[in-house]
Amino acid sequence: MKEIDYFFPKTLEEALQILNENKGSMRVIAGGTDLVVRLKQGQVKEDRLLDISRIDALKGIEDRGEKIYIGATTTHTEILEHPLIKTSVPILHDAIKSIASLQIRNIATIGGNVANASPAGDSIPALFVLNGFVFTKSIEEERKIPIEEFFLGPSKTSLKENEILVGIEITKMQDDEVGFFRKVGQRKGTAISVVNGAVRLKKDSKPNRFSKAFVSLGAVAPTVVRAKIVENALESEEIDSLDKIMYISGLVFREVSPISDVRGSLEYRRDVSINIIYEGLADLFLNGFRRS
Amino acid sequence: MEEAKYKYIGRSVPRIDALEKATGKIKYMSDLSLPNMLFGKILRAKYPHAKILRIDTSKAEALPGVVTVITHKDVPGLNGFGIVVPDMPVLCKDKVRYIGDAVAAVAAETETIAEKALSLIEVDYEPLPIVDDPEEAMKEDAPKIHEEGNIHLHTEIKRGDVEKAFKEADLIIEETFFTGRQDHTPLETEGGVAFVDEEGNLNVYVGSQYPQRDQLQLARCLNWNPKKIRVVSYPVGGAFGRKDELSIQPILALLAIKAKRAVKITLSREESMIAYWKRHPFKMHYKVAFKNDGTLLGVDAYLVEDKGAYSSLGGPVLNLAVEHACGPYRVDNVHVDGYAVFTNNGIAGAFRGFGAPQTAFAIETIMDIASRKLNIDPIDLRKKSALRKGDKTSIGNVLSTSVGTELVLDGIRESNIWKNREELRKISTKPWLKRGVGVALTYQGTGLGVGIPDYGGAILSMNEDGSFSVRVGTVDYGQGIGTSYAQIVAEAMNIPIEKVKVVLGDSFLTADSGPTSASRGVYTGGKAALIASEKMKKTLKEKVSKLFKTDEDNVEFGFGYVYDKVSGNKVTYEELAKNFKEEGKLPEEEGYFLVPTAEIKIENAFGLPHHIFAFSAHTAYVEVNTLTGEVSVLEGAEAVDGGIVVNRQGFEAQVEGGFVMGMGYGLTEHLAIENGIVKNPNFSTYIIPSIKDVPKRIETIPVINPEDTGPYKAKGIAETVMVATAPAITNAIYDATGARIFSIPATPSVVYFAIKEAESEENFD
Ligand SMILES: Cc1cc2nc3c(=O)[nH]c(=O)nc-3n(C[C@H](O)[C@H](O)[C@H](O)COP(=O)(O)OP(=O)(O)OC[C@H]3O[C@@H](n4cnc5c(N)ncnc54)[C@H](O)[C@@H]3O)c2cc1C
Repeated sequence: MKEIDYFFPKTLEEALQILNENKGSMRVIAGGTDLVVRLKQGQVKEDRLLDISRIDALKGIEDRGEKIYIGATTTHTEILEHPLIKTSVPILHDAIKSIASLQIRNIATIGGNVANASPAGDSIPALFVLNGFVFTKSIEEERKIPIEEFFLGPSKTSLKENEILVGIEITKMQDDEVGFFRKVGQRKGTAISVVNGAVRLKKDSKPNRFSKAFVSLGAVAPTVVRAKIVENALESEEIDSLDKIMYISGLVFREVSPISDVRGSLEYRRDVSINIIYEGLADLFLNGFRRS
Repeated sequence: MEEAKYKYIGRSVPRIDALEKATGKIKYMSDLSLPNMLFGKILRAKYPHAKILRIDTSKAEALPGVVTVITHKDVPGLNGFGIVVPDMPVLCKDKVRYIGDAVAAVAAETETIAEKALSLIEVDYEPLPIVDDPEEAMKEDAPKIHEEGNIHLHTEIKRGDVEKAFKEADLIIEETFFTGRQDHTPLETEGGVAFVDEEGNLNVYVGSQYPQRDQLQLARCLNWNPKKIRVVSYPVGGAFGRKDELSIQPILALLAIKAKRAVKITLSREESMIAYWKRHPFKMHYKVAFKNDGTLLGVDAYLVEDKGAYSSLGGPVLNLAVEHACGPYRVDNVHVDGYAVFTNNGIAGAFRGFGAPQTAFAIETIMDIASRKLNIDPIDLRKKSALRKGDKTSIGNVLSTSVGTELVLDGIRESNIWKNREELRKISTKPWLKRGVGVALTYQGTGLGVGIPDYGGAILSMNEDGSFSVRVGTVDYGQGIGTSYAQIVAEAMNIPIEKVKVVLGDSFLTADSGPTSASRGVYTGGKAALIASEKMKKTLKEKVSKLFKTDEDNVEFGFGYVYDKVSGNKVTYEELAKNFKEEGKLPEEEGYFLVPTAEIKIENAFGLPHHIFAFSAHTAYVEVNTLTGEVSVLEGAEAVDGGIVVNRQGFEAQVEGGFVMGMGYGLTEHLAIENGIVKNPNFSTYIIPSIKDVPKRIETIPVINPEDTGPYKAKGIAETVMVATAPAITNAIYDATGARIFSIPATPSVVYFAIKEAESEENFD
């Protein structure tokens, strides 16, 4: 591993200042669970690290009425232990619970999961369907970016060189909303997603009908994607049989462009991206679309 | 019960090293640091198959902080090692044969400098065509990896008349199977330190399975007197066969000798996975004949072993696969044709099961298919042909030692899973989750086989405080033999187990007890320790009879003391030790035990047959997600015949660990090599079971079947416990889904597409 200069600012202002001064040669580090792996593999070009894990302003979860704000360096464990998350955004709760192992979740952050921009990042599909926004800051400006616009490709985001991701905002689920997160890895514990996905549905007054549907899938395209065709079908059809659900899930096929790699083949990813949406919807259907 | 009369044998005795291991106090070789120590790094091949045209180390040597750079020129003795054929170069001279081949090595003041120095070594190569398909490699015109050709070994066994069997058969099953390239993934990678001491002895502290053989192999490479090479190979952070053969030792030794300083090497997980030993992948074609009543009429098996680049134990692995190819069944018409073939696909060697897990997957899948086609209960079908004492094995030797085939089948029938399987398979929580139960049977030859020196050795000495030290060359690499040796000595000497000190794996201090492999650790070393104990008792009796002026026959052993049963006089071990000391020296006894072997030799199949076998039946209860191919193993069970169990707790740990290792083999583990390059050299992509994948319950069912030749009638179980787990699971997958698995690991993708295929066949039918 190469030698690096390590910076430990205490305030956000200080951090933004340092980052600005070292633009281009400095990388932000939070929990380091993605970054250190890459560092060891010689895949990090910057030789300075800005550790933001001790900045209070970047930590914590805030109840903002219909919304929830999560500071970037809040760890996965802190998120899971917060009562608001489990009750108001169970989809995110399930997604984060599926990440890595307890030891990793104790230091890894949600900001890191997002900024890392892996197409397989597990919190991301959940943030997609929960109407997520990314908040960024630099010494010049503050931005609020819809999560879908944040990702440009694998490991590529719209963050500028002097910007820090400061937090994430999501919309709480209402009582008339149901949904799920589902991931398929190569094993149960500590596995990177081969395919993952999340769905949120807003129930209509008529049974088995939905006024709003959000569907997202990960690890099947260069970034996490929304499956708009599937969403449209869910909003226009009556979801009254498993056959209907299979038909709608099959539309996922048109939204994904997976590749083959060491974790899974194109064919497997394509089929299973359909099937996890089917599985989750079928589960909800068999449960009478009740919030469990 | 046989064991009721014992104080230690058969009990659950906590491991003698439990505390120091649990607290992290124990120092493994990769934890050792010596003053003024250097760090070694190894330059690996740039291509999986290439000629070396030029090696220039001058720039690396000139780098400040670099103390020594070595190449093939620095190997004073034979530039090769290998337990059977020493064809693996210590440092390659004119050719590299796999991507982990060592070309040069550096010792430097820091790891960073050593790393930098590697990048300054210039090597010019002429890449050669890559040979990565064993069947292609067998062809006449295939590029040659070794000059003698790519076929390392061909072993063919014929008995009876298979063609006739096929003519008479009511059912013929013909299938092709593939098994994966499993990594042992011991917690501790290859690592350790070496130095030359003041007396001019070379000390090599690297965890391994056989210090005395390491010593000899090193002597051959270094051109040194083996008596001047001390190999300390214990403690080891896991081995499973991987550390039977040498790895970094000769390079480490050369660096230490040339640098005249202590040198340490520890491999990263990636380097370990790329550079060292694996389980051989097999391709197997089987044709098997049955009668309608389930009689196994004939087996024709064609086995191709992907040897990788160098021999190591690949020949014996092939032969053991041939020997076990038909399972523990009576079958008189046999043709098994096996090839071990060199490729550029890494290197493979010994691994728990040693060829048996591969063939067990094939034959046990076939037994499952047959039980369904013949409509015979799978356990009944297996019992029909199960080997019994006095029967001939498929390769034609008569079983004269203990045979537990039927016992383990009866045992597994009583397991929770099997007893309740009808209800268990019906449990359905969701329409797409299917549950099933599978069973598989296996056996495992213990010891090295015919024609290979196979013995146990132990030195037992009395210490000043009246305690005893037992010194055995075989090592405890997690399986718990150290504790078993302590139990055996404590039982034999009738002393508290705390009074037995166990010294293992040291070529200077311990008796040569052969390799710690082939399920032979407890059996051979334990028997030698028992023999040494008996001798010790004799010596003590003589002493005490003189002391009390009584007849030797009157001397008996109490718990921690010796007494004259006539006078009632007694003397504690501590007092005895004092007495010995005053009169000269404390007693020391050696025990040696020659492992019995079969009376016949199988022609053209070195090492065959084995003489003593462990038996096990495995069952698995699984849930398969038919939408994704994910398999959850909900529960497992194993009925195991290991003779008389020495340590109940160790036995259970072996079964649980073996089952889980078998799960990895069956479901996830395979080192993918494409064009000679490893695609998944770390734990992010090479998938071993995590604790969340492990079933909540693995039932252990020991069957009591004394093996008269073993210490306290025990025999080894270390391998058999993992061997039949994979087919038990894949048979359960079939039971759940109707999808037959012919290739392991049965990853979610393999299972998913097998289900799809099964469904489309169903629709077609
Ligand atoms: C064993 C293991 C298992 C894993 N399993 C999973 C899994 O199951 N699912 C999953 O999704 N991930 C998994 N990961 C990946 C990783 O743990 C997560 O992505 C984690 O959330 C990253 O957070 P971090 O704080 O450690 O990020 P870091 O490693 O610190 O940073 C990751 C990247 O984001 C950038 N960054 C971080 N924070 C900010 C910020 N506030 N502003 C700007 N840039 C920032 C860094 O520069 C870096 O490029 C696993 C990792 C390991 C080692």
